[in-house]
Amino acid sequence: MIRALRIDRRPAKLALARLAGSFGPAGAVRLGPLELSSIDPPALPGTGWHRIRPLLSGICGSDLSLVEGRASTYFLDWVSFPFVPGHEVVGLDENGRRVVIEPVLGHAARDFPLPFPNAAPGDGDDYAHLVGGALEPGIQTGFCCSTGGGWSDELVAHESQIHQLPDELSDERAVLVEPLAGGIHAALSLVPAVARARSRGETPVVAVLGAGTMGLAAILGLRRYLPDVRIVVGARYPHQQTLARAFGADVVVADGELARAVRREVGCHVVGDYLSGGSHATIDAVGNSNSIASSLRFTRPRGTIALLGMPAAVDVDLTGLWHRETAVVGAYTYGTETMPDGTRRRTFHLAIETAVDTPVDKLLSATYRLEDYEDALSHASTAGRRGAVKIAFDLRSPDSRRTQEAS
Amino acid sequence: MPRPGFVLDVDRSTPPILFWRGENFSLEKLPAGRSRVIYAPEPLPAIEDVDGAIVHALLHPIDQDPLPALLFPGMKLTIAFDDVSLPLPKMRRPDIRQRIIEAVLDMAAEAGVDDVHIISALALHRRMTEAELRHAVGDRVYDAFAPRGHLYQHDAEDPEALTYLGTTPHGEDVEINKRAAESDLLVYVNINLVAMDGGWKSTATGLSSYKSLRHHHNPETMTHSRSFMDQHRSELHKSNWRMGKVLLDSGVKVFQIETTLNTDTFPSPFNFLSKREWEWSPRDRMTYLGTTKALNRTPHRLARNIFHSIEAPHQMTSVQAGEVEAVHRITTANVYEQQLVEVKGQTDILTMGIPYISPYNVHSILNPILVQVMALGYYFNMYRGAPLVREGGAIIMTHPCRPEFNPVHHPSYIDFFEQVLADTTDPHVMSQKWEKQYAEDEWYKHLYRTSYAYHGVHPFYMWYWGTHAMKHCSRVIVVGGDPKTVRRLGFVPASTMDDALEIASDVVGRAPTITHLHTPPLLVADVSV
Amino acid sequence: MARDDAPWKPSRLAALGRIGDLVENVTRPAMTRVVRRGFPYTAPTVPRGVEVPAEEERLGASYDTEWARRAPARFVRRGLVNGPIRWMVRSVASPSVYGTDRLSDPARRDDPPALIFAPNHHSHLDTALMATAVPEPWRSKLVVAAAADYFFDKRWKATLASLSLNAIPIDREVTGRKSSEMIKALVEDGWSLVIYPEGGRSPDGWGQDFKGGAAYLSSRTGAPVVPVFIDGTGSIFGKGAKRPRAGTTKVVFGRPLTAADGENTRRFSARIEAAVTALGDESLTDYWTARRRAARGESPRLTGPEYTGWRRQWALSERRALGTAGVRRRQKRRWPDLG
Repeated sequence: MIRALRIDRRPAKLALARLAGSFGPAGAVRLGPLELSSIDPPALPGTGWHRIRPLLSGICGSDLSLVEGRASTYFLDWVSFPFVPGHEVVGLDENGRRVVIEPVLGHAARDFPLPFPNAAPGDGDDYAHLVGGALEPGIQTGFCCSTGGGWSDELVAHESQIHQLPDELSDERAVLVEPLAGGIHAALSLVPAVARARSRGETPVVAVLGAGTMGLAAILGLRRYLPDVRIVVGARYPHQQTLARAFGADVVVADGELARAVRREVGCHVVGDYLSGGSHATIDAVGNSNSIASSLRFTRPRGTIALLGMPAAVDVDLTGLWHRETAVVGAYTYGTETMPDGTRRRTFHLAIETAVDTPVDKLLSATYRLEDYEDALSHASTAGRRGAVKIAFDLRSPDSRRTQEAS
Repeated sequence: MPRPGFVLDVDRSTPPILFWRGENFSLEKLPAGRSRVIYAPEPLPAIEDVDGAIVHALLHPIDQDPLPALLFPGMKLTIAFDDVSLPLPKMRRPDIRQRIIEAVLDMAAEAGVDDVHIISALALHRRMTEAELRHAVGDRVYDAFAPRGHLYQHDAEDPEALTYLGTTPHGEDVEINKRAAESDLLVYVNINLVAMDGGWKSTATGLSSYKSLRHHHNPETMTHSRSFMDQHRSELHKSNWRMGKVLLDSGVKVFQIETTLNTDTFPSPFNFLSKREWEWSPRDRMTYLGTTKALNRTPHRLARNIFHSIEAPHQMTSVQAGEVEAVHRITTANVYEQQLVEVKGQTDILTMGIPYISPYNVHSILNPILVQVMALGYYFNMYRGAPLVREGGAIIMTHPCRPEFNPVHHPSYIDFFEQVLADTTDPHVMSQKWEKQYAEDEWYKHLYRTSYAYHGVHPFYMWYWGTHAMKHCSRVIVVGGDPKTVRRLGFVPASTMDDALEIASDVVGRAPTITHLHTPPLLVADVSV
Repeated sequence: MARDDAPWKPSRLAALGRIGDLVENVTRPAMTRVVRRGFPYTAPTVPRGVEVPAEEERLGASYDTEWARRAPARFVRRGLVNGPIRWMVRSVASPSVYGTDRLSDPARRDDPPALIFAPNHHSHLDTALMATAVPEPWRSKLVVAAAADYFFDKRWKATLASLSLNAIPIDREVTGRKSSEMIKALVEDGWSLVIYPEGGRSPDGWGQDFKGGAAYLSSRTGAPVVPVFIDGTGSIFGKGAKRPRAGTTKVVFGRPLTAADGENTRRFSARIEAAVTALGDESLTDYWTARRRAARGESPRLTGPEYTGWRRQWALSERRALGTAGVRRRQKRRWPDLG
């Protein structure tokens, strides 16, 4: 038997969590569908699968929205209940190797033919591979009842998902590899927009709205892989602003000041609420109606907005988008990237590189035991206000934790 | 007979003293035995027959031919006038500028002059709205000239409308309004509210461009202007006077008309604001209590509108016309006669209450940068001789200092606050690092030319204004100000006057001398050390 | 048979007659009783051979208006002027008032001096207009010089005129010694005066030459003369009009004038006339144009062109078309009812 935090499909509980969530995160967690229980470890679904014992397991915004009942019903058909959340996992495999999980359950994991040779789990345009095959539906580990998830003592992972870690990479940095990969993916999705700006002889300006984990990861990705862009960041909280600066943002302002800061960078006019020009590309790492609406206002006509934060149902006036011919692209996850120089790299490899070179462990603000999940989740859900960025579960046994500290 | 200004030594029987706090005021008890309060002289009697005095001045100018002798048929006549920044608060209709312009126009009509343009000499200030123009020049002049396009505002960003006249011996560029430069006669209509206004500053600043202004509106000049209110010790004025010489040498003929006003600043029942506290009548006390209590409960946006609708009863005390420098000497003497107060010795702490208005926020918000300019630019510089506060002393001001800006009037101020002040509060550094970007920003230019916005570079000038004070004082404390905003200005926030005095004790010791500048009404301290 | 088919309709006169009958039915019984009682309930009859001496003339120029300047009458008048008269003026004439700023200097004085307002004159409306347009502090202490032969010929007219508009009787042609003494006393008492120097309303829509009244009174009393131009009242309710036709008007105040040293009444009067003429020009064009034309002596004259006949009328309509005041308020558009 293993300990696991599990979400069951109980509409009444979801609704209750949604209601309680409007008064504060703690109530939502307590009344919501998440429960700590003792369960059997997941069975190995086939060959090529390995048992992984998580060491650290991060809490992501998408997890929170599920727990608090705010997630879009879109996902109901892409996940299978009951599932154990947790897809930001650093763990040990059977052989005691430290690994991170690339959580997307791709063709290889589900026993489908690869769309092209050496495809990464996230590659492939036919999303049927997310629901069919040998596993129950689930877009990622942590949303699928067959694989288990990171918020437990054990899960199973396919070998296509497993990346061994270099020894110099600490657990605390490694747990951020997954979100880092997401940020790098979003940054690299702006390559065409940035190239267009360069071809006009302009300094590419990229605005980043929001500096939670994803925003900061995107800033790191931009700075590392698109070094010549001007990065303008709007961050609400002071610690976020400090981190954004530390991670190489050129201009960091309060979130409400971002439009003016972008205008100062590009020197355009303001017509009504909209800039006449604006940033060549924007990463919206917040993902709500307001953030999308303001991104539309300060992204230049024919510019690109990457939606990195997960939006639910939003209410946005799209007249500006239509008139300015803005491209809004989603930035869900990772796979294989085309680098500015044309070479192709796995996003996770880039993320591990980045984690080795930068002190991303600064983002890990607090860890909790699995038993203290209510505190952990409410801390994660008010992270910004409480001066935190990433909250994770620490599943290491007290002994191994001590060893880590000693080393 | 109005009483002259007065320095009160605070003792135990002295009532609490009035401090302005933006759109409100408060009474603060100053420590007895080591505090003094400087009260402005009472308003001088006004000229009874204003129109008669104006005509007399035009017919008997100083060091120049009478105006009618300078007018001839077929000539180009340009009348320039001071913009909305003067006087403060706006005066009751009819404005003095209207009376003078009408008198000039009457003479021009007599002389058969047809080609007359009337220009608002606003330099890099915002354009005036139609209502403000009508207030300044009157409906008759507005209706006669504006529809034909002959009443307009100086545009310092229109290359077609500027003429480059050359440089001064110090290498300062002189560029002024083309129409003014090419006219056969330029009549300048001025209101001299403080000793800084007028003289060559009217034309060389009011009708010039950024290219010209940057030579004297910069941290170096401002540091060496001690003070702006003392023309002979002001580098700002010396530069303007040099530019005036270039104007004269290139054949611009100026007929300067300068006026002074008395300091009758607040209409009844608010005239208690100018009174000495121990002379407040029961009615004054009731008005004070009622007003402050009501204002505390009034949304400050509404309070602001109420205050900005105040029209001051101030009246003209003198009018003189003729050659610029000769006229200005008399004007300055008249201003001093109204405003000068003799003060003996400097002080450790200078206290001041910042009111709701400055020359740059008529019908608008006194934003944090303007609070700075009021305190360190204007009030600190209200001296002749030596500054009121000793070197290394402290300034304590009262103002709510909210981070609020008028986006129409002060768009570049918002960026200045968010970008420049977040980076540096050092005037020298910002002039090197940031000024150019703001001066050349296309959007600011566009708003300055077509909307009602101050020029992009204007917040820098506001900051430079305080250069000397920033260097001179070791601490600036804002009582009752929004702490975050106050810190961004580089000042120290305090919640009460006692706290502020406590904070100041770090730099001025336990028993510092305190001097309170009881203004408005305006006064200039004549400080003898 | 329907009444509509009748070859004639009962005239209004007949209807009025019937009302009269009704009233008479009520009053007759009472009246007969009074008449039956006779004197002293009725007026005495005069014995034959006795001559009743003529009562002293108390109407016309010698009507005593003293009572109208006492507190009760002033109180009533304030109510009338600010109530019905203002309402009537606004609805009929929609006045826009200009140039009151030219009076701000004396207004600001602690003891504002009395002024003599000298407007041009086209209509009875002018007086009501002035009563509402003159700025304070003069409005509440304003008397109007009204033609003795027109406004003070009947007692009811005299009472009404002096109560509602504080009119005082004055001879049209020559300002008599008595009138001028009375006005001098009034001015010394702080009363301001409206006097029409033209002496009467314009007969044809063009102005008339100014008579010396205003200038004479000014030099006798020392009160400055304020030239006033009123535009538009002529076309609303000019001389000879049966009923007013609503329109817009303008009232333009000029700068107060005083007689220069050694200036005789005629010269001063001409200066007043020129000032009103220039104001007229200003109200139709603009200040600067008017000033230049005045300086060149080319202000269009209010008295109209020299020639007579239809061309004079023709020119008048042209002038009226120029001023906004001449444009009558737009009628509400009536669409035909198409069922």
